[in-house]
Amino acid sequence: MKAKAVQSSFRDRTQEFLSVSERLRKSITSGTSQNGPSSSSSRAEEKRSVVAHQSEFNRRASKIGFGIHQTSQKLSKLAKLAKRTSVFDDPTMEIQELTAVIKQDITALNFAVVDLQLFCNSKNEGGVSSDTSSHSTTVVDDLKNRLMSATKEFKDVLTMRTENLKVHENRRQLFSSTASKDSPNPFIRQRPLAAKSAAGASNNLPQWANGSASSSQLFPRKQVDAESQPFLQQQQQHQQQMVPLQDSYMQSRAEALQNVESTIHELGTIFNQLATLVSQQGEIAIRIDENMDDTLSNVEGAQGALLKYLNSISSNRWLMMKIFFVLIFFLMVFLFFVA
Amino acid sequence: MKITALLVLKCMPEGADPIILANACDVSHFGFFQRSSVREFIVFVSRTVAKRTPPGQRQSVQHEEYKVHSYNRNGLCVIGFMDDHYPVRSAFSLLNQVIDEYQKNFRESWRTAQADSTEPWPYLDNALTKYQDPAEADKLLKIQRELDETKIILHQTIDSVLARGEKLDSLVEKSSDLSAASQMFYSQAKKTNQCCSIL
Repeated sequence: MKAKAVQSSFRDRTQEFLSVSERLRKSITSGTSQNGPSSSSSRAEEKRSVVAHQSEFNRRASKIGFGIHQTSQKLSKLAKLAKRTSVFDDPTMEIQELTAVIKQDITALNFAVVDLQLFCNSKNEGGVSSDTSSHSTTVVDDLKNRLMSATKEFKDVLTMRTENLKVHENRRQLFSSTASKDSPNPFIRQRPLAAKSAAGASNNLPQWANGSASSSQLFPRKQVDAESQPFLQQQQQHQQQMVPLQDSYMQSRAEALQNVESTIHELGTIFNQLATLVSQQGEIAIRIDENMDDTLSNVEGAQGALLKYLNSISSNRWLMMKIFFVLIFFLMVFLFFVA
Repeated sequence: MKITALLVLKCMPEGADPIILANACDVSHFGFFQRSSVREFIVFVSRTVAKRTPPGQRQSVQHEEYKVHSYNRNGLCVIGFMDDHYPVRSAFSLLNQVIDEYQKNFRESWRTAQADSTEPWPYLDNALTKYQDPAEADKLLKIQRELDETKIILHQTIDSVLARGEKLDSLVEKSSDLSAASQMFYSQAKKTNQCCSIL
């Protein structure tokens, strides 16, 4: 470092810069050790291996970052699919595939990040400048944070999807148990009088089953599946149409009974929760009561103290005597000085 | 959600046309001039369906915009004309009730009937008007509906209990603040009383 003049306030480090760049160039292109003006060969070796280490680290970190980015893109697609899922055309297969793929990706990225951290730690044991080590730890932490946020998003999407499924289940239950609030299916109207079995079959499916594919439309609900299965066979075998129709009637009654039972069960749990909540709140109410009692006693004590103070101030016999004494005292001093 | 007609027929063996034993129709929503033709149409369709229902079976047929539900029990067939919205299960439970009532009232006298009887049967007319709402006919449906209403009410209750819990929490905060303030007040009062009594 050369201070050019006394007044200059900069340091010309060009020479240093040139030497360092030459050193780096030579260490990257050739394998021979290079004697820079201020470095020894061993240090160059170290620096080269450090550089190689660092580039390896950077490569892996960039790969992991890219993987995380891709996974978050897939996750946003999954979130869109889960949000738009409707009762009718549920893209269940796609959602499940996408979920499986994303789960695999996340676990693989998790392993990769753990590996990267081990790698970074092992490298830090070689004598490396603190800047590099702190940089690598920061990078690893950043990747971990991003992976964690991606996992959290994934969990949120899955919960949203289960809630949607629950809502659809409820809606379907509502419709299939009453089957009275739906608009009539236009396809059913075109059935002729002779197609008794088909009419009988379709009457017991939920009203909004598409009439054109009534037998082939399989809903994810198990109960409807159990009902539609006998219907499929019924449509194929004209002979046995009567017995499944009886069965379907009985089945629908059994299903209605099951619905009632499950509803009662749910009501029981709701009542239990209600009782828990109310008992917890009772505790809170008791605490409030105690606080108020404490406040009351404090205020009463304070009032008593203030009353005493008031009494002592209003009847200030002592005070008068004190003032009198002070006056006498000053009079004495005054007299002594004058006389 | 409408029942248009309820009929009780006697199914003749071997393919002859069934005989109508009781008939209750509600054709008020048709124009005045169409009513008689609609009645005849109902009679004809019910005869056809009853002829084709084997004994001991339930059947539902779709005809234009009506569903015809029929239940044949040992030669006595009861048929109901309902629209598409009427749930099938309630329809059949209603038919069950009608047929039980008929057998209770008429015992076996219907077996000797040879011609269409034209006397109105008041029970059938009452049933037609009463059971326009499927919940009346089907007890399960009624129970399910009431349970759902109860569940909704309970949900609202839980919401209000949660709100109450929040208010209680804020109250507890305020009361603890109040108690702390009163404590400070007390100590201040005591202090003013104690230390300045010299002056």
